[in-house]
Amino acid sequence: MKVVAAVLALVCACSAPDRAPRWKAGDPAKPRAGGTLRVATSDQVRTLDPVIAYDEISNYVEQALFATLVTYEAAIPGSRAGTGVIPDLAERWELEPDGLTYRFHLRDHLTYADGTPIVAGDFKFSLERALRTPDSPFGPFLVGIVGASDVIEGKATDCAGIVAVSSRELLIRLVRPSPTFLLILTMKFAAPQRAAWVEQAGDQLRRRPLASGPFVVERWDEGTVIVLARNPRYWASPRPYLDRIEMRENLPRDTQFLMFMAGELDAAERLSSPDYVWIIDQPAWQPHLHQRALPQVFGARMNVTKKPFDDRRVRQALNYAHDKSHTVKLLNNAAIPSHGILPPGFPGRDPTLSPYPHDPAKARALLAEAGVAPGTRLTFVTQNDQQGEMLAASLKGDLEDVGLVVDVQLVSFATLSTIVGSINGPAFSLTSWVGDYPDPTNFFDVRFHSRAIADANATNDTRYSNPELDALLDTAQSELDPQKRTAMYQRAERILYEDAPWIFDYHPMTTEVTQPYVMNFELHPIWIRDYTHVWLAEREPR
Amino acid sequence: MIGLVARRVGWALVVIWFVITATFALATAVPADPAKALLGPHADEAAVERVRAHYCLDRGLAAQYGCWVRNVASGDLGESYRSKRPVTEILGDRIWPTAQLALAAILFQLLIGVPLGILAAVRKRRWPDRAATVATLLAQSAPQFFLGTLALYLFAYRFGWFPIGGYGEPGLDRLWHLVLPALTLASVGIAYYARAMRSELSEALAADYVRTARAKGLPERTVVLKHALRNALGPLVTLIGLDLGVLLGGAVVVEAIFAWPGLGREVLQAVLEVDLPLILGTVLVAAIAIAVANLLVDLALLWLDPRLRER
Repeated sequence: MKVVAAVLALVCACSAPDRAPRWKAGDPAKPRAGGTLRVATSDQVRTLDPVIAYDEISNYVEQALFATLVTYEAAIPGSRAGTGVIPDLAERWELEPDGLTYRFHLRDHLTYADGTPIVAGDFKFSLERALRTPDSPFGPFLVGIVGASDVIEGKATDCAGIVAVSSRELLIRLVRPSPTFLLILTMKFAAPQRAAWVEQAGDQLRRRPLASGPFVVERWDEGTVIVLARNPRYWASPRPYLDRIEMRENLPRDTQFLMFMAGELDAAERLSSPDYVWIIDQPAWQPHLHQRALPQVFGARMNVTKKPFDDRRVRQALNYAHDKSHTVKLLNNAAIPSHGILPPGFPGRDPTLSPYPHDPAKARALLAEAGVAPGTRLTFVTQNDQQGEMLAASLKGDLEDVGLVVDVQLVSFATLSTIVGSINGPAFSLTSWVGDYPDPTNFFDVRFHSRAIADANATNDTRYSNPELDALLDTAQSELDPQKRTAMYQRAERILYEDAPWIFDYHPMTTEVTQPYVMNFELHPIWIRDYTHVWLAEREPR
Repeated sequence: MIGLVARRVGWALVVIWFVITATFALATAVPADPAKALLGPHADEAAVERVRAHYCLDRGLAAQYGCWVRNVASGDLGESYRSKRPVTEILGDRIWPTAQLALAAILFQLLIGVPLGILAAVRKRRWPDRAATVATLLAQSAPQFFLGTLALYLFAYRFGWFPIGGYGEPGLDRLWHLVLPALTLASVGIAYYARAMRSELSEALAADYVRTARAKGLPERTVVLKHALRNALGPLVTLIGLDLGVLLGGAVVVEAIFAWPGLGREVLQAVLEVDLPLILGTVLVAAIAIAVANLLVDLALLWLDPRLRER
């Protein structure tokens, strides 16, 4: 009898619990200051040194710590969550008639979190530091500034093109007109740091950089938790509204979700498949789900100089053979099928183009026309993680449906990213691209301009070379008229669509869920996480 | 005796050197380029070459190895490529959480596995033996990611008896956070210990000296715990030593599920990102841990079994 009772008790305990939101927001009408936002990430912050940090998680924190001369429009519910550039620490700027010289005017009374003033010379110092630091990934972003290359190569320590005219005026002179220069200045490596502070901090700068943004580091137990406190000297007071952000690190997605449901977290990121599939169907959670297409693209690259990929018909055939809707299903609909490499919302993306339709008959016909016999063997190299293997299996099935035989080879991400850029690397492999800023140059020029072909570490790893595309990209790069520029990139998209050096697959989406009392939470198209406008309403039981 | 210990220490040093050299050879043989991993896919050839030169990766393997050995000999394990944090500092932060987890797991293995094994041996082929066999089989067969996730869901989320992952604050809170990950980590060990104990004790209980002890009229409790158990402990001590080394080397899965900030997670990240100084530093620590654990086992066995001292 006791055993039966125990089993019944266990069954009752394991029956489906009520998993609707436990709380509701009290008076969500106007922003309320105070409170601690508890969030998490499944990875860890590596460094807070702005000229070194280049990973997504460190960038989440850097977005909260650093302000820059210019920034993107905020992502606030109901507003234009944008990629347009707006003033941040600079109250205004002018581009001189030569199209080469930017003159930035800083806001009045700007200070760092420690109360010391922010002056124009600090921006010069930070940009030059990015150029001088050998293992900074950001030096190449600045080569468009006069004298930047000399600093990178160690021929000069002073960058002639960056001049602090006064404490509130900064002048930057470019080698050629660049419509993307302001976008580069939104990146956090361009945030000001005071030279004396950097010198004094030495190798501890990675833990305690000088904050100019809405928050400041209060505590960091590396790999466990980072606590950010409100910067009372932030120029855009009364923002931020939160007193603190507590970000738990290395918290797996499943564990995050359990903590979120138990009320120990205010937001959970990138839900794992079972949790995502469950929550997406729960009406009570719908208002608190936040989705955003990431500035990324995934596909399969082909080395167009190697057989059989040197024939455009073969590359097109592979695009017709691949069922993108199946990829999207495998990703629980958290992806958008792609027709090219520019993510949705990016300027230059041609809205009239559709992804290659799934048409195995046409694929077979194109393969036959190109002389590719049924049974031809291809090796597809992909990343050895769950998603990489799953999508490779789907692609293999699609290509085998049209008569090809595909061997899948698994390697680590680090190995894959090294070998694909080599002249002797694999001809057919998984590929992806993440935009640093929302502009086609950051995609097309790096991936498909013939200038980016090299024997090793080539970013144009398809080795696709097309003089028409090169000329188009070179012209568009310096074109300051947005409409003309957009038309040029749309033409570039169409050329790449036809020539198909990739099997264009999908743009991933990210999903986060918040408790009902978390207000003004919206995923930013570039930063993803931006807590500047977030506030916490009164937490009332539902 | 001193000679024996010196020989063991000498061999431990040789093993550590071999492990490190083999790791260096393997890590550098992988086609992944640390400079490329560091700069990301956007980096062009010139940028990658600059970083290779900065970290001496453009020199020959022998020069890199020599440089690293010299630094290690002076106590400098270098800095992580990815975070620019000194490797000694990272390891210093991570070893203690892993050591706590490993020691707690060993403790659970002993506290649960040994009595279970004794019970199964003295009640052989009766229901306690069969129940213990089924329980140990289940514990051995269930993967730790499954057990850990289940434990987290049931005992932390549903019943709320334990915290949902994390490291907790020092003191009782830390101990409370330790229970579920340590039990999960110990699950396979508990089964092994129980089975090893059952097998060794069963053998000892059938030995002549046990028959003699029983014939002398000693109570069964004394026969089992004083005479048979001491002889059955030898293989168990060897198991503890091996386990301690392996657990200190990092319990990747359990640490990940329970967000325990130990060495395992660092190893995984370092390997994925080709963070050579961190890989070598972690392997060095794991190799030392295993060598020291084995040395301690050898010494414990010498103490337990006087016959070994005469060989």
